[in-house]
Amino acid sequence: MPLPRLLNRIGVYGFLGAMALLSVFPFIWMIVGTTNSTGDIILGHLGLGHAFLDNTQKFFTQANAPLIFWNSAKISLLGTALTLAVSSVAGYGFEIFRSPGRDWLYAGLLLTIMIPFAVLMIPLFMIMGRLGLINTHIAIILPTVASGFVIFYFRQATKAFPSELRDAARVDGLKEWQIFLYIYIPTMRSTYAAAFVIVFMATWNNYLWPLIVLQTNEMKTITLVISSLASAYYPDYGVVMVGALVATLPTLIVFFAMQRQFVQGMLGAIK
Amino acid sequence: MPAPISLRRYYDVNGWFFVVPALGLIAVFMIYPIIWSLWMSFQTGRGLVMHFGGLANIVRLTEDPVFQLALTNTILFFVIQVPIMLTLALFTAVLLDDPKLKFAGLIRTAIFLPCVMSLVVYSVIFKSMFVDDGVVNRALAAVGAISGPIPWMSDPFWARVLLIVAITWRWTGYNMIFYLAALQNIDRSIYEVARIDGVPATARFFRLTVPMLKPVILFTTVTSTIGTLQLFDEARNIVASDTSAGTAGPGDSVLTLSVYIYNLTFRFMPSFGYAATVSYVIVILVALLSFVQFTVARERD
Amino acid sequence: MSDLKLVDVSKSFGAVEILKKINLDVKAGEFIVFVGPSGCGKSTLLRLIAGLEEITAGELVIGGKRMNDIDPSHRGLAMVFQSYALNPHMTVAENMGFALKFAGLPSAEIRARVLSAAHILDLEPLLQRRPKALSGGQRQRVAIGRAIVRQPKVFLFDEPLSNLDAGLRVHMRIEIAKLHRQLGVTTVYVTHDQVEAMTLADRIVVLRAGEVEQIGSPLDLYDNPANLFVAGFIGSPKMNLLPAIVTRTADGRPALRIPDIGDALVALPDRAPRLEDGRAVYIGIRPEQFCVDGSAEFDLAIDIVEHLGGTTFVYARKGSSAAIVVETRDGRAHKSGDAIAVRFDPASLYLFDADGGRIRSAAFGQPNA
Repeated sequence: MPLPRLLNRIGVYGFLGAMALLSVFPFIWMIVGTTNSTGDIILGHLGLGHAFLDNTQKFFTQANAPLIFWNSAKISLLGTALTLAVSSVAGYGFEIFRSPGRDWLYAGLLLTIMIPFAVLMIPLFMIMGRLGLINTHIAIILPTVASGFVIFYFRQATKAFPSELRDAARVDGLKEWQIFLYIYIPTMRSTYAAAFVIVFMATWNNYLWPLIVLQTNEMKTITLVISSLASAYYPDYGVVMVGALVATLPTLIVFFAMQRQFVQGMLGAIK
Repeated sequence: MPAPISLRRYYDVNGWFFVVPALGLIAVFMIYPIIWSLWMSFQTGRGLVMHFGGLANIVRLTEDPVFQLALTNTILFFVIQVPIMLTLALFTAVLLDDPKLKFAGLIRTAIFLPCVMSLVVYSVIFKSMFVDDGVVNRALAAVGAISGPIPWMSDPFWARVLLIVAITWRWTGYNMIFYLAALQNIDRSIYEVARIDGVPATARFFRLTVPMLKPVILFTTVTSTIGTLQLFDEARNIVASDTSAGTAGPGDSVLTLSVYIYNLTFRFMPSFGYAATVSYVIVILVALLSFVQFTVARERD
Repeated sequence: MSDLKLVDVSKSFGAVEILKKINLDVKAGEFIVFVGPSGCGKSTLLRLIAGLEEITAGELVIGGKRMNDIDPSHRGLAMVFQSYALNPHMTVAENMGFALKFAGLPSAEIRARVLSAAHILDLEPLLQRRPKALSGGQRQRVAIGRAIVRQPKVFLFDEPLSNLDAGLRVHMRIEIAKLHRQLGVTTVYVTHDQVEAMTLADRIVVLRAGEVEQIGSPLDLYDNPANLFVAGFIGSPKMNLLPAIVTRTADGRPALRIPDIGDALVALPDRAPRLEDGRAVYIGIRPEQFCVDGSAEFDLAIDIVEHLGGTTFVYARKGSSAAIVVETRDGRAHKSGDAIAVRFDPASLYLFDADGGRIRSAAFGQPNA
C-alpha cells in the first residue's frame, strides 16, 4: 500500500474508532458506575467496584423500583398499543379512501407535527384537571394516542401496500374493516414492528408531560425518579447508575432484538 | 345481499370511520389546546384569575430579561450545535459508506447506540461524568489538554459547552443514519465515472454527494432545529440546577424557552397567559426557521 | 355460467371520460378478451364489471340481473390479478380457501373445494407453502385456484400473464385455455398482448381511447379489420400500412401511387369501386400476402433479415422510406443489402380512408385471393 493511502486509512480508522469509542463510553461508564460508590464515581474511577449490591438494594428500597418500573412498563405498552391501533387505522384510511376534504385535513394534520409541546402543555394540564385525570396514567397516554407523526408514518408505508390485495379481498367479499384486520395488518407486520419501536421508545422516555401530570411518588415513572434522584444536592450516583441501567435495558434489548426495524422506523419519516 | 347503495358512497363512508377516531382525539388534545393557548396568550393575571390584557404579554416579553436570556440561550444552542452535529454526522456517514471499510457495521451500530438512551438518562450520566474531579476532567488532564479542572457545572460558558457536547453525542448517530440511507440510494456508478474522469475526492464530496443528499440534509436540519428549539430534558438535568428555585445552570446559562415556560407555569406563581405567549414564540421561531431553510434549499437549485 | 351484458357503459374520473358508451353481449360460457394499447381503458372496463369501480352511466347485467350497485362479492364472479394478489402471510391452501371462509362455508366443504382445485391445477404438493416460496408460474396457478374454488359464474382475468417470462407465458396460456374448456365458465380476459388475445379468445374486443374499435372472432379481426387501428394492432409482425394516392395508369386505368416505394404504381382490380383521382388513402398488406406470382411487383433493398427457421421475415425498403416486412418460406438465401423483387396480388390489398376507416369492397381484402 502506498504511503499516502496508508496514512489515509489510519486517519479514517482513527477517526471512526474515536467516534465509536466516544459514543459507547457513557454506556460503559454507566455499567461500571453501578458497581462503584458515589465517591468513586465523582472521582472518575474507571474500574469495577464492589458497591453493586449496595447500590441496587438502595435503588430498590429508596425508589420503590418494582412499582415505578411497572408504572413505566404499563404506560409504555398500553400507550404504544393504543397509538398503533388508532394511528395505523387513520393512516390506512387516509391513503385508501378518497373522501372529500381528505387532502386539506391531512395537510392540517401534518402541521400539528410541527407544534411544540410547550404550546399544548398548559391547556392539556387544565383539560386533565377538568376531567379529574391529574396524577393518573391515563392522562399520560391519552394525548399521545392520535399522533400526527405515526399517522404520517403509516400513510407513507401504506403506499407500498399492494392495492390488488385489497381489490382481491373485496371481490372475495370481505368488508372494509375485515380487509384491514385480516389482510393489511398481517401484510404490514414489519411496518408495525418499526412503528412499535419508535413509539415505545418515545413513551418509555417521555419526561416533560409525566413531570407535569404525575404528582405522587407511587404514580411516577422511572424517568421521573432518575431525574429527581440526580437532582438532589448531593446525588447518590451509584443509585442513579443502577436506575439508569434499569431504564436503558428495555430500549437496549428492543434495539438489539429489532435493529433492522429500529432503523427502518427512524427512516420511515423520509421514505 | 347489501342494500344497493352507490358503491362510491359505500367506500367513502367507511373511509371516514377509519379516520374519525384519530381526528377526534387530535381535535380534543391538539387543536383545542392550540387555540386555547392562543387565547390565553392575550390574558394576563396570576393563577386562575385572568382577564383580557390585549398585547400586554407581548410588551412584557420586551421588558423581561429572563425571557431574553432564555431566547438567547435557545438560539445560541441551535446556531452552534446544529451545524457542528450535522457536519460531523455527514462526514462520518461518508466515511462509513465506503464498501471496502472493515468493521463498518460495528462502528455504525456503536455510533448509533446513543439514540437508545433516554434524554433524562443520558443527561444524568453526563452530569456524573463532568463533575469537577470527574472522569472527563481527569482524562483531559491525563493527556495534558488542561492544567486545572474545567468548571463545567459552575461556569456559564462551560455549562453551555457541556450542553452542546451532550446533545451532539446523543443525536449525531441519529442523523448519520439518515445520511447513510440516502448515500446507499445513490448509484455507485456515478462515483465510478467521476473517478475515471479524474474528479478529485473533495470535489466528488461537494459537487456530487452534497447536492444529491440535499433533501435529507434539509430534513435533518429542520428536525434538528425544531428539536433544539424545544430543548427541555437536558437543560433541566445535565447541569446542576436548583430546581426548587427554578434556575437552570449557573446564572441561568442553560435556561431554554421550554424550561422557562415550565417554570412560569408550574414553578412560580402560575402565569398561564404569559407562559402561553412565550410558547408561541417557539411556534413562530419554528415556522420562521423552517420557512427560511426551505427557501434557502430551493434557491440553491 | 352466466351471460354478461354491457349497455352504454361509460366511466369518467372527474371530467375525464375513460370509457364511452361501451356495448357488449357476452354469451354464457364464452371467452372474451379485451385488448388494446395501454391507457385504452380495458382494465378499467374489467374493474367496472368486477365492481371495483363505480359505473358512471349505463348498465351492467350479469345473468339477467342488473349489477351496477351490487357489492363485488355478490356479483358471482372471481378475479385473477396481474400481481396474483396472494396474501403473503397465508399458505397456498389458506389463500385459496380465504374467500370461502368469509362466505360462511363449512370447513369440510372449503377443504374439499381447495383440494379439487389443487388437483386440477397440480398444486397438491404446494398447499402448505407460502407464496414467497413459490415460482411465478406456481403463484399464478394459486391465483387461478383461488378463483376456481369460488365456483364463479364469470371469471375475470386482469393481464394475468404479464409478470411471467416468455416460456412460462406460453405454457400458462395453454393451461388457461384448457381450464376454460374443462370448466366452461364465462370468462373476460384483459391483455395488451395480441397473441394472447388471438390464441385464447372466442371473441376479441379491441379498445382504443375508451371506445370499442371492433368486436369479433380472432380470425375475423385478422381477415376483416374494421379500420386502420385494428389492422395495425392485430397480427405479428404488423400489417404493412403505406400511404397511397389514387391515380391512373398510362392507359387510363385506376391505380394507386405509393410514394414510399418510389412512386410505384399498382393497378387496381377491375371490380374496384370508383375512387376520385388524387384521394389520399392507406393500403395495407400483411407480410404473408407477398407471394411469387402476384401482378404487382416492385424492387426493394433488404435492410435486415430475420431467419426464424421455418419462415423468414425480410425487412426491406426503397430509399429512405419505412421498412416493409415480407414473410417468405424460402428466404434462406436472402442477405442484408441484397435486392428483392416483391410481388403481391392487388386483390389482397386492404384499403383505408385517410381518417382510418376501411374502404370495403369485394375487390379488396381477400386474404387468400
